[in-house]
Amino acid sequence: MLLLLTALVAVSLVSLLIGAGSVGPGRALSLLSGAQDSEAHFIVWELRAPRTLIGIVVGMALGVAGALLQAVARNPLAEPGLLGVSAGAAFAVALALVLGASAATLRISVAQLGALVGCVCVLSVARFRGVGNDPIRLVLAGAAFSGLLASLTSLILLYDQRAADEIRFWVIGSLAGRRLDDLFAVLPSMLVASVVVALIARPLAALALGERVASGLGHHPNLIRWLVIACVALLVGAATAIAGPIAFVGLVVPFVARALAGPDIRRTLWFCLPIGPLIVLAADIISRVVVAPSELPLGVLTALCGAPVLIAVVRARRLPML
Amino acid sequence: MLVKTTSMAATLAKSGRLGMVGILLSIFVAGSVQARTLETAFGDVDVEGTPERVVTLYEGALDAAVAAGVNPLGAVTTRGGDNVASYIEAHLGEHPPAIMGVVREINIEAVLAQQPDLILAPAQLSDEQYQLLSRIAPTVVPPTQPLAPDNWKAEARLYGEALNRQAAIAEAIEAVEQRAAEVAKAVEEAGVGGSAFLVRWMPGGPMVMSENLFSAGLLAQAGLDVQDAGLVGERGVHSDVLSLENLSQVDGDWLFLATLNEDGQAAVDAAKQSSAFTRLNVVQQDHVVPVDGQLWTSANGPLAAQAILDDIEAALLP
Repeated sequence: MLLLLTALVAVSLVSLLIGAGSVGPGRALSLLSGAQDSEAHFIVWELRAPRTLIGIVVGMALGVAGALLQAVARNPLAEPGLLGVSAGAAFAVALALVLGASAATLRISVAQLGALVGCVCVLSVARFRGVGNDPIRLVLAGAAFSGLLASLTSLILLYDQRAADEIRFWVIGSLAGRRLDDLFAVLPSMLVASVVVALIARPLAALALGERVASGLGHHPNLIRWLVIACVALLVGAATAIAGPIAFVGLVVPFVARALAGPDIRRTLWFCLPIGPLIVLAADIISRVVVAPSELPLGVLTALCGAPVLIAVVRARRLPML
Repeated sequence: MLVKTTSMAATLAKSGRLGMVGILLSIFVAGSVQARTLETAFGDVDVEGTPERVVTLYEGALDAAVAAGVNPLGAVTTRGGDNVASYIEAHLGEHPPAIMGVVREINIEAVLAQQPDLILAPAQLSDEQYQLLSRIAPTVVPPTQPLAPDNWKAEARLYGEALNRQAAIAEAIEAVEQRAAEVAKAVEEAGVGGSAFLVRWMPGGPMVMSENLFSAGLLAQAGLDVQDAGLVGERGVHSDVLSLENLSQVDGDWLFLATLNEDGQAAVDAAKQSSAFTRLNVVQQDHVVPVDGQLWTSANGPLAAQAILDDIEAALLP
């Protein structure tokens, strides 16, 4: 854990030092050690610092949401990006943009509502249709759901060309050009989600032992499930509202966290907190340098790196049942 | 008597021959006016007479046709819109053309439904589409390939020839040249000038447009030094979205800011939310000119040139 935190601090520092612009690591480093350099000051503190902070928050939210969703679906492949929960949030935002919304606060509530609807759709598929027992079929259902939402988003794009610029921004997640105001706007809902997660971590761990055991211990399995869904919606909605849909982070982070922390969801959740930001920031740093002086959207990079991980997980002989 | 008869017969034969020659000559002369052979990207194309039912599948072709006095029956939408560009609507009167799809996705059935006798197509028309379209009507594809700021003149002349209205097109091009020279003179006298960037603002940052673009050519003609900071490749139309960290690369004396829709001011407002944008010198000097992207980054032709020169005049001359 200490190692992870050290790594997170290191990656955050690198995130301040490296970018697509003319201010290289050397110049940024001398700025941090006190040199006067107004251009470097602007680029490091007003461009790279906010996106680093936002990356940390988004990584935490997506990692925790992924772990929660996997626990409640009892499926290691349940991932907000893969199952269309992010797509639901992005679609809701796109719809709101077309209908004329632009205020940051409205965008967040809309994204969270979209994520909630996406979450409920996905889990009803998982629980009520018996798909949940087969991880691959759940992923297929999620892919179909994501495809549906993507085509609906395209439909909006065709219907309203004027919103096309803004919607394109939503189709693939990115941290470029995001403002701290957006981050502050989502913080309250993330705090609410964290408190709820803290409260339900114990019952959720009990639920992993089976419904009867959990009931026997005095918990209410259905209530817990609904609270978890609400938390996932709050977290994914908030992350999507700031950064757009970012695929695979919610899959990879809990996967690594479980490998390090073992099967207990409470330990896994703690490990997700540094691992999420680590992965998001690393991907964001790469997205800045590969096509400089332009930037690649972060979502493209996580999708590129995440897809092989998904295949590896699926092909692994022993798919852990949660 | 015999001699007389012979001479009469000879005279008759002579006049007959002359008549035949006359008829043949007149057919030949008329034919040379009526049927024209155009050099197009897909080889020589014959066009006869003055086409009445014209379909344009390119904004430059629509512009040239309207400038030559022809209202096309069908046209493609402007980029980012669902109709023809608004600058050209004013010239169309009460008969707007039917929509034939977008320039990259032409609705062949819609073209067929118009029963055109001439199709004016873009230089980038694919071979497959040409094969289909040329079966409907003579299809004129300009042989202009590399992007260059004055491609529009050669294209407009070719379209004008196809329409049998060469004089009208020559006049329209001449009017643009004259107007550009006037604007350049006025700009020089006002002492504005300097370097200029043409960008399209996207939510993540700007796309720098090529200095070979039609509107960039007019800016240059008006006396500005149009640049693309080496960000646009040889054949590209614009750069990728530039990282906000590199905004200083577009910090010239003038910044012409376009969007895909006609609301340039909204693009400026969106850009101004970014502190990386507001700290640019060009922004602080208030030398950012919001322009209609439909006109500035998509349109082409003599009418578009006049409209762009209007914008340049309004922006640079007090």
